[in-house]
Amino acid sequence: MKGWKRKRGQAMLERRLPVGVLRWVGATGLAAGALGLTLLAAGVVLALGGYSPLRAGTALVSGALGSPDAFLSVTLVRAVPLVLTGLAVSLAFRAGVWNIGAEGQLYAGALLGAAVGLVSPGLPAPLHLPVLLLAAGLGGALWAAVPALLKTKLGVGEVVTTLVLNFVALNLTSWAVRGPLQENRGIFPQSDQVAEAARLAPLWEGTRLHWGFPVAVAVAVLLWWVLKYTPVGFRLRAVGAAPNAARVAGRIRVKPLTLGTFLVSGMVAGLAGGVEVAGVTYALYEGLSPGHGYTAIAVALLARLNPLGVIISGTLFGGLEGGAGAMQRDVGIPAAWVRVIQAFVILSALAIERWVRARPHSVFVHPPSAPGGAP
Amino acid sequence: MSEPRSRLVRRVTTRGAAVVTATILWLGACAGEGEAGREADEPAQFALLTSGPVSDAGWYAGGYEGLLLLRDSIGAQVSHQQTRTPAEFDEAFRAYGNSGYDIVFAHGFEYQDAAIRAGDLFPDMYVVVSSGGRVADNVVPVTFTLEQASYLAGIAAAGMTRTGLVGMVGGVAIPPALGTFRAFEAGVASVRPDVRVLETFIGSWDDVSAAKEAAVAQLRQGADVLVHNTDAASFGVFQAVREATTAGDSAWVIGMNGNQNDVAPEVTLGSADLRLPAAFLEVAELWQAGELGGRPVYSGMEKGTVDYVPNPAVLDRYPPELLARIDEARRTILSGALNVPRVPYVEDEIGVQDGTGG
Repeated sequence: MKGWKRKRGQAMLERRLPVGVLRWVGATGLAAGALGLTLLAAGVVLALGGYSPLRAGTALVSGALGSPDAFLSVTLVRAVPLVLTGLAVSLAFRAGVWNIGAEGQLYAGALLGAAVGLVSPGLPAPLHLPVLLLAAGLGGALWAAVPALLKTKLGVGEVVTTLVLNFVALNLTSWAVRGPLQENRGIFPQSDQVAEAARLAPLWEGTRLHWGFPVAVAVAVLLWWVLKYTPVGFRLRAVGAAPNAARVAGRIRVKPLTLGTFLVSGMVAGLAGGVEVAGVTYALYEGLSPGHGYTAIAVALLARLNPLGVIISGTLFGGLEGGAGAMQRDVGIPAAWVRVIQAFVILSALAIERWVRARPHSVFVHPPSAPGGAP
Repeated sequence: MSEPRSRLVRRVTTRGAAVVTATILWLGACAGEGEAGREADEPAQFALLTSGPVSDAGWYAGGYEGLLLLRDSIGAQVSHQQTRTPAEFDEAFRAYGNSGYDIVFAHGFEYQDAAIRAGDLFPDMYVVVSSGGRVADNVVPVTFTLEQASYLAGIAAAGMTRTGLVGMVGGVAIPPALGTFRAFEAGVASVRPDVRVLETFIGSWDDVSAAKEAAVAQLRQGADVLVHNTDAASFGVFQAVREATTAGDSAWVIGMNGNQNDVAPEVTLGSADLRLPAAFLEVAELWQAGELGGRPVYSGMEKGTVDYVPNPAVLDRYPPELLARIDEARRTILSGALNVPRVPYVEDEIGVQDGTGG
């Protein structure tokens, strides 16, 4: 089946190349134009609020990209949890698993990771960090196991179960930092700091960028390779495209595959929590994530569920959030306004991506297929 | 999933990833260079970090007023950021440090760990942590002894209750909040030991609906004077008392963390006022005198930072002897004869209690 499609596709490409290139340019132009209009509209909104759109835009860009330190210590540091949770969401969506629970899985990972980071003093130093990260992945997988089993054993829809468990994880974390994991003085709702050996070192001294970033990139490459080149990846995509066809025609055992994908997805989201604790905060706090697990859905969709694309879209969102901080600091735009602008840009980016993709007969764009339409 | 597109996508994403990686490597090589210095004749630079909106008519609003006061009185260049996560704390401190800011007012205990890290990283920058516990050469916790005002509020509540039951709605049960409630209870007991005091913590500083639920529950149990110690969530407490009063019950609410007498003037008995601008100015003046750092700052009734302010709109409802009793207690506190209960949390005072200092 694949070979036939490939031949046909190649023939189409060769026949249409000049036109295709033109259309690609056209589609890119459309996207750029639409983005320009979005920014213009955002500017009008800001101007109506009495803020200078030009200064706001400058702050946004310089806060995210204005200096090497801004890019490394702000944009990329913020990108790490977004890339990891974005990967978790992408993987699940590719298999037709609507995991809305990356947020909860992140917290579960942070919780178990921090617990291990705090209470294993007997561990040899070189093992401490890997054990913390493993525990974080395990925490995320355990948290995903509940909706995964409910889905595969009882047929309970995972959208509701994963969503509800997000709040459970959040409150579990709040309880933990007031109970078993509270700092030793027992005063503030936060844990003690994890041991030095359990921390992710900075990639470069003097920046905040830590080894979590290469870890995230490595996970992305691994997932991309598995999805693209392994039998498991092929089956996973087939199930995502059409579970019944995969089961009947492809003789694929859908339930174990769904279960496995769910667990790995939760593991990657849990890893995001562990990486935040080991690389950024060094302690467990109840407000650890501002909703990375939800932003992750936008990250994954913008990347068209392509793991390599998630690196780029995650970085984009990291820059957007980092630049938003600079808009507050440098221009004095209140946080609520900044969030409105952010939401505006995110919605527009997603709409533009969908819209451009829906233009038919172009090389750049392609009629949409099932969740997981990407390669 | 035909090949032409996927190949193109693959090529684009692979190259994109390669470009990103190369850029990072290059940036890493040139990062960590030059920090912005400040010329002597440039204005002082002060920044404020808050975890919540400065529109809460209380804790954060007071911090923002303090920042604006420094801008207007000292002529400082000021900046504010609302941060949500611990990761953002580090990022904001770093941004201000890189821009050569003189003082960052981190308005909440939650900043204290990040403040210590920032203090290490930027030795020339002072980080002032409101209600913080940790101390370093350039990291200064400021403790507002709001307990003094809360004690007076307790006296007022005991003098006004008819049911003999009053309630406290708190945000998160941390020592600064617990301290104000212990002081409130002591104030109540100093007038009427028979009055019972309810206590609820809602686990959030700005969850308006949770605060309202807690307040309604206390009102239903028969409490007729409520005090809160929350931030934006306080609006829920005011709302609950206002609705109870509209429904025909007699109930009062006491504001905290700022002068909240105008939030719901017809049902507000008074406020345990926290005048953060006065405290911020005190810190800035210490900095100008070169005396800031290395030890905590305590700011309370002696400095005019806290006081109980009866609501002028309902002053005629206070029995005269109650007002006299509040004034008497204020004088006793100022004279040093009365030590209001507090829950200690500053590094130096866990063990060693330092009443005033600063």
